[in-house]
Amino acid sequence: MATTGNLTAAPLAARPIVSPVTWLRIAIIAAIVVIWEIVAASGWLFRDVVPSLTKIGRQLFLILTHPDFALQVDVGLGNFRLAFDLMIPEFYRHLWVTMAEVATATAVGGLAGLVIGLVLGANPFLSRAFERFLYYLGPTPKIIFFPIMIMWFGVGPGSKVAMGTISCFFPVALTAAAGMRQIEDVLIRVGRSFRASTWQMVTKIYLPAMRQPIVNGVRLGMGVAVIGTLLAETKLSNRGVGFLIINAYSTFDMPRMYALLILLFVVAIGANALVARASRG
Amino acid sequence: MAAISATRPVTVPVEKAMEPILVVDDIFKRFDTQDGGLVAVDHVSFDVVPGEFLSVIGPSGCGKSTLFNIIGGLLGGYEGRVSVAGETIKGPHPSIGMIFQEESTFPWRTVIDNVAFPLEIAGMAKSERLEKARHFVHLVGLDGFERSYPSELSGGMRQRVSMARTLASEPKILLMDEPFAALDEQTRLLLGDKVLQIQQELKQTTLLITHNLTEAVQLSDRILVMTYRPGKTKRIVDIKLPRPRTSEIVGSDDFGHYVAQIWNDLREEASKGLKDDESRRGGAKRK
Amino acid sequence: MMARALIVRQVVPFLFGIACFGVLVVLIEFLIKTGLINRFIVPLPSEIWHSFGRIIVEEDVPSRFLLTCTEALVASLLLSVVGITLGVLLHRITLLRLATETWIAAMASAPLVLMYPLFLVIFGRSAWTIIMIGFVAALPPVILKTLEGLAGTRQVLINVGRSFKLTPSQLYWKIFFPAALPNIFVGVRLGMIFALINIVGVEFLINFGGLGQLVNELAERYDLPGTYAAICFVILVSVVFFIVTERIEQWLRPGT
Repeated sequence: MATTGNLTAAPLAARPIVSPVTWLRIAIIAAIVVIWEIVAASGWLFRDVVPSLTKIGRQLFLILTHPDFALQVDVGLGNFRLAFDLMIPEFYRHLWVTMAEVATATAVGGLAGLVIGLVLGANPFLSRAFERFLYYLGPTPKIIFFPIMIMWFGVGPGSKVAMGTISCFFPVALTAAAGMRQIEDVLIRVGRSFRASTWQMVTKIYLPAMRQPIVNGVRLGMGVAVIGTLLAETKLSNRGVGFLIINAYSTFDMPRMYALLILLFVVAIGANALVARASRG
Repeated sequence: MAAISATRPVTVPVEKAMEPILVVDDIFKRFDTQDGGLVAVDHVSFDVVPGEFLSVIGPSGCGKSTLFNIIGGLLGGYEGRVSVAGETIKGPHPSIGMIFQEESTFPWRTVIDNVAFPLEIAGMAKSERLEKARHFVHLVGLDGFERSYPSELSGGMRQRVSMARTLASEPKILLMDEPFAALDEQTRLLLGDKVLQIQQELKQTTLLITHNLTEAVQLSDRILVMTYRPGKTKRIVDIKLPRPRTSEIVGSDDFGHYVAQIWNDLREEASKGLKDDESRRGGAKRK
Repeated sequence: MMARALIVRQVVPFLFGIACFGVLVVLIEFLIKTGLINRFIVPLPSEIWHSFGRIIVEEDVPSRFLLTCTEALVASLLLSVVGITLGVLLHRITLLRLATETWIAAMASAPLVLMYPLFLVIFGRSAWTIIMIGFVAALPPVILKTLEGLAGTRQVLINVGRSFKLTPSQLYWKIFFPAALPNIFVGVRLGMIFALINIVGVEFLINFGGLGQLVNELAERYDLPGTYAAICFVILVSVVFFIVTERIEQWLRPGT
């Protein structure tokens, strides 16, 4: 270990402060910015299809900081009562709605997927009987179920959560079932040889051994839950980030739409990276 | 049974008069395969007395591992009977501790938590089981690695973790299936020393399943030689090498005699297996 | 012996699964008839079954199907050409790969479909919006899988090529590309499935074009059995698409 440490340490000192990779990254970003600005200034495309980055930046700033929504705070503690309107940027309220929907969908869909996946992974007969349904239903466009979900759960957040749940369920169930079958047979035999109970087998062998596939499944599931929920919001809703995006579209406020999409991608990619990191730690 | 009157070292009290702790009685197991059935174990019987080290040796494909899984209670659907101290086994028996051929440590547990696993399953309190586990970690010579994960250890060390884990459950009978198969020859001999030392220290009744001749002769009091398919008992050989032993015994003349004698039996079976394997591959190619 | 074992292990569970599905359908029919399930939320399965024919004739399903297929095909072609080219490019220029691979991986985990309003502005409410969304949303996995395949070429195979003194381009066409092909197929197939999902989804969302729009229109007309039938039809199409691409992939992967 010590020798490799020295080996890597030595060239490190000699290395330039900014590596070629970083230079290239800066160059790519710079090139995109310059081309973008040229197109924006030239007016070759329709008005505002490619708005100047300063416009997008200003919108980004406004969305994040301009307090345009009165949040009614009303806390009571014994005889003490506090009620006032807190002005916040409206974006946070919508982000909160969407995040709550996605979190609920991931929890419900993920848990259901996990249970079904474990059952299918453990039982070859049930797996042969039912897994093909999941396998084939998995890659179908879930959004077309939205009309049904509206009928079942109403136009409010319920139908969005349902969309996210349906989306999340399939990848989690399929990865859990596959992950269970991939467990080294000898580890299961070890557990049996020590006469572990079924519950002990599940909690002390199956689940820890399946940690990586489960995390992967949840990552995938959360990703598609975000898509399912937000697409539903763009179709029919008056709350959530999806609603904000489609609202920006219908008022043809392109800088705002770009800003919202950037924010959405940052949050989605960040959440994905967070789950990935949590699995390693 | 040729040399029944030969002198036995006093340290190993193997007497035929002693009540056997493990009885394997007329085991017959057949698997259903695509081209008919395959008899893996064909009416094998033997018994093991307390403190004895018995090895079952045979060529690859003679049903050794099947026998291992049957005695361990992991495989059912056989004819015959396996009993521990007079009690017929149905499923894994608490008196039998198994050590597997494959790498079987839990990668998500540290060494100490791996070793404490059977105690945890049995519901022992945390402080108590950790203390006990530490003792067995020490026994296999892994002091200082308690907090390491298996991925940070060598293959030989990992196999010692598995061994400590099984010993921690304090089985009356230790059942091993080629525990050193994945290791190189030198590590194997040194680990053999460790096994001998532990076995003599704990007076551990041990049943070893192996295809390795030197290993079997180095460790055993008796060796059961199995035939190739169907797996039958070909011969039982008493190893009257002195105890306590170490791997140095490998250099002695007696050791050489035993190896030669058993190899004589084994060669015939092994070459049968080889021929069978080659003709099967040839058949597959012609298809 | 073998045939019997096969029947017990494969066919019986399969039939059991189908039978369970059938029982479920009958049960739903029964529950609706007894009024335990509101028939204005879930229509009778028999009604759904009967509206199939009506929809296919009245809503011009064949031409919708053709439109969706064409969109998917164009998106897939774009996807294969651009995705594989970019993958090869990234593999050949290591610096570029080091600089951008994490970006592409991040893009793969971003909900790119949500850009559809943006595409709507650029391309208008046309088939191109739908095709481009299908293309863009499915591009990252194709690039990544191509790259994975090329980078995963076993060193010993490359050494074999070198020992025969292959030129760099020969090395590429005789060693790297064939070695990466299975992975590339996986990537392209994944991309095609993504593209189809997104295409049908966007058709539904922007109410334009093929099968996706069919669901939307029937739902807006409150044609309950029709909506359910259309959804079943879309599922059927994607399942067939999935199976066909799976078969093609298996057929294109020799020796595995």
